[in-house]
Amino acid sequence: MVQITINEKKIEVAEGTTILRAAQMAGIHIPTLCDHKELTPYGGCRLCIVDVEKWRVPMAACTLPVSEGMVVHTETEAIKKSREFILSMLFSERNHFCPFCQVSGGDCEFQNAAYDEDMTHWPIQPGWNNFKVDSSHPYFILDNNRCILCRRCVRACAELTGNFTLSVAERGAASTIVADTDVPLGESTCIKCGMCVQVCPTGALIDRGSAYLGHVKDFEQIKSVCVGCSVGCSVNIMIRNNHIVRIEGDFDGAVNHGLLCEHGRYHPTAESRKRITTPQMRKNGKLEPVSWEEALSALTDKLQPLAGDKNGIAAIASTRLPVEALAMFKELFADKFQGALVTSTEEGIPTAATSSFAEKNGAFEGKLEVLRSADTVLCIGANVNRSHMVVGSMFKRNLPKGTRLINIGPDTSELDYLASTTITTKPGSDMALIKGFQAIIVKEGLGRSPMTIADADLLIEQAVSATGASREQLSQTAQTLARSITPVIIFGKGITAQRDENLVEEIYRLAVLIGAVDSERLGLISVKGEANSLAASLLGLDTAFKLNGQKAVYVALGDDYASKSLIERVSKAPYLVAQACYESDLTEKADVVLPVTIWSEQEGHYINLDGHMQKAQQVLTAPENVRDNMAVFSEVAKRANMALESDWQEAILERKSSVSLN
Amino acid sequence: MNKPKVSSDWICGCAGCHMSLLDMDERILKVLELVELRSSPITDMKEPDESGVDVGILEGGINNTANEEVAIKMRKRAKILVALGDCAVFGGVPAMRNFCGVEAALKQAYVDADSNEPGSQIPNDPELATMTKVRAVHEVVPVDYNVPGCPPDADVIFYVLAELAQGRKPELKDELLHWH
Repeated sequence: MVQITINEKKIEVAEGTTILRAAQMAGIHIPTLCDHKELTPYGGCRLCIVDVEKWRVPMAACTLPVSEGMVVHTETEAIKKSREFILSMLFSERNHFCPFCQVSGGDCEFQNAAYDEDMTHWPIQPGWNNFKVDSSHPYFILDNNRCILCRRCVRACAELTGNFTLSVAERGAASTIVADTDVPLGESTCIKCGMCVQVCPTGALIDRGSAYLGHVKDFEQIKSVCVGCSVGCSVNIMIRNNHIVRIEGDFDGAVNHGLLCEHGRYHPTAESRKRITTPQMRKNGKLEPVSWEEALSALTDKLQPLAGDKNGIAAIASTRLPVEALAMFKELFADKFQGALVTSTEEGIPTAATSSFAEKNGAFEGKLEVLRSADTVLCIGANVNRSHMVVGSMFKRNLPKGTRLINIGPDTSELDYLASTTITTKPGSDMALIKGFQAIIVKEGLGRSPMTIADADLLIEQAVSATGASREQLSQTAQTLARSITPVIIFGKGITAQRDENLVEEIYRLAVLIGAVDSERLGLISVKGEANSLAASLLGLDTAFKLNGQKAVYVALGDDYASKSLIERVSKAPYLVAQACYESDLTEKADVVLPVTIWSEQEGHYINLDGHMQKAQQVLTAPENVRDNMAVFSEVAKRANMALESDWQEAILERKSSVSLN
Repeated sequence: MNKPKVSSDWICGCAGCHMSLLDMDERILKVLELVELRSSPITDMKEPDESGVDVGILEGGINNTANEEVAIKMRKRAKILVALGDCAVFGGVPAMRNFCGVEAALKQAYVDADSNEPGSQIPNDPELATMTKVRAVHEVVPVDYNVPGCPPDADVIFYVLAELAQGRKPELKDELLHWH
C-alpha cells in the first residue's frame, strides 16, 4: 500500500493505482473525458491534469501511478485555469454546433465538462476545416467534426469487442477516426456491436435509432438480460412512453461485463414484422378475429379428446421463451396431453449431442470466464463474427497479447483476418480432423494426459484426405494446441448439428489430451443456439420434430421466426394452433392464432450457454388483447380439466446438464 | 437615480433571441421598471444614443460590413456589451457558411438552388454591404458578457438584465448556462 495526499486528504491505495482512480476512491472529483472505467488509461484529453508537489509541470492523473508520499492538488487556481484552457482548445480544434447536436443538453460529457467550468464561450474560433462525416453504417454515423480524439471508440473496438476496426489516421490536428484502412464504416470489418457509440463522450458517433428521441434523464432505465442468443448478456434498456429507445451493454453484467452485439443492441428496436393483436380463427377458410373465449374453447374442444393419444398432439415451442413457460409447455403437452412429439423449435440441433454426452459423463463444459486467460483458442464450426459474437469478443480482444486463434469450419472467411491458422473443412470431415489431431499429438508424445492410438499414421492420412489440408499444416496446428498452456476449445452448430455424440466425445478427448480440460480447468465450450437452448434441452425438448400423422399441432412460437422447414412440416397438419406474436406464413396457415407477449412484455428466466440462470425483466406493457405465454398454457390446461403444478426449478434438474448451473 | 439605459440590436441572427426576451412575459414590466429601454429592433428608435447607453445587447454574429458597423457603433456607445445567443457568442448556424466560403454560398443561394429563376445572378448593387466570413461578436469587438443559448431562455435573459440593471455582474452557471 502507498500513502498519498490529495487535496489535504490522506489516503492509502494499492501500489500501481493511478492518481485518478485513487481520487475517485476517496470521493474526490477530477474532470475527465478520455478516461473510461472499462478501458486502458490513455492520457489523451489532458483534462485530468493535477498539480503534484515537487513535479515540474501539471500531470495527467489518469496515467500517473501514485508513489509513496505524493502530495496532489486538483483545484489550485493554476490547475483550474489550465483545465479551462485545455477544454477551450478542444472546442476550438473541431467544429462544435451544440444547438442541433443530439447529445447536447445532458448526454454530452464534453459539454457537461465545459458547464462544470462555467465556460460561456471559447475564446479561439475553429479553423473552419470540414472534417469527414461517414454515414455509410446502418446503425450509426461518424462525424469527425465533433470528435475530440479521445480514442475511447478505438480502445473499445480493440479492448472490449476485439474487432480492431477503428483506428486513427493522420497526425495532430488532422487526425481522424477511420475504419480499417480508411474505408467507409458500412463496408468495413465492423461487426456492428455499437460499443464505440456507447462509450463516445461527445456527439461524434450518432446512434441513428435513438438520436433526438430524448436524453438519458427522460428515460426509464431497466436492467435486464438479452434474449437474442444463448450468451445471456446483461443489458440496460432505456424506455420512453412504452417504447424502447435504446439498449446498452451493462458493464455490471455477470456474463458479458458490458459487451453486446448487433443482435442485442440493434435488432430488438428494428422489428418490422406485423404484430398480431387479437385472437383469430379460421372460418370458411379465412382467418377471422374472434374473442379469447371463442378461440380457447374451440381449440380445447379439439385438443381435449386427443389427450392420452401418443400421436394425438404434436407440440413445439420456441427456445426464446422463458424457462417457466417452457416447463409449463412441456408439462401440458408431454405429461398431461401425453403427446409423444413435444420439442423445441431448435429441435436439439445445438444441444442434443452435448446433452446425451453429458448424461453419461456429467458436466464437461466450462464457463466463459475461462476465455480470459486462454492462450490458444480452437474454434470449430462456430462463426463468432456472425452469431454469439460476444463469445468471440472474449478471446478476440486478447489476440494482441499473444492469444492464437485456430479457426476451423466450412466457412472461415469472416474470422480469417484474425486467425493465426485457418482450416476450411468439408462436410463430414470433422471427425477425421479431430482424430488426426489426437494422432499427431500422441505420435509426437506431446499429450498432457495418457492416450493410446493404434494406427496414428492412418488417422493422420485420413485427416489429410478428408479436409484437404496439408499434413504439415495439421501437424503444426496440433503442435500449437498441444504446446499451449491454457488452450480452450469452442465449438458451435457446425459440430452439434451433426447430432453425433461420438464427435462431441472425440472433441472432449482432444480437450483432455491438450490440457484444455483437466482437474482445474474446463476449457471446452459449446456456444449452443438461442436464449434458452440449454433449458429446453434440460427439459428434454431437444428431439427432431418429425410429424407422424398427428391430428393436431400446437406451435408456441412467441416472437421467434418460424423456419421454412417448420412451416412446410406443420402446414399438412389437420389442425394447427399458432401461439405467436407476429404475422407469418405459419400464422397464415393456422386454424387458431393466439396473440402473445414478446420478450420485452414478459418476465422470466433464461439459462445461458455456460449455465448462468438469469432473469429477464418485463420492460414494456403489452397491447391490450395480448396475453402472456404462460397465461395461455394455464388457460388451455384449465379448460381441459388439467392442473399444471410442476416446479420449473425442479423440472430442469431432471437431466444432467453439460455445464454446471449457477 | 437615473435608470440604466439599454439598447439592443440584431445582426446575423434569426430574431429568436429577441423572441426569447419577449418570452419573459410579465417580467418584462419588471425589467422596464429597472431600466430605460432605448433603441431596439422592436421599438421606434433604431440606434443607441450618441451620448451612450449603459448596456448594449447584440443578437447574431457578424457576416458583412453592415454588421461590422452595427457592432462597432454598439461597442462605442455602450459601457457594457452583451453578446446574446449562440450566433453572437460562437457564430452559430450562419457560421457553417465558413466551411465553403462566401462565393460558394452566394452562388448556391442565388444561382444554383432549384428555387431560383433561370438566369438568376448574385446581386451586385454597390449599395449592398460586402459579405465577409461569419464571426462571433468577440472576434470583431471586445465583449463583456457572453450569454450562450439557442436561444438563451427567457429566465437567463431576465437574470442577466436584472443583474446588470442593479449594477451586479451576472454569473452564468448551472441551470442558467446552456449552449443549445
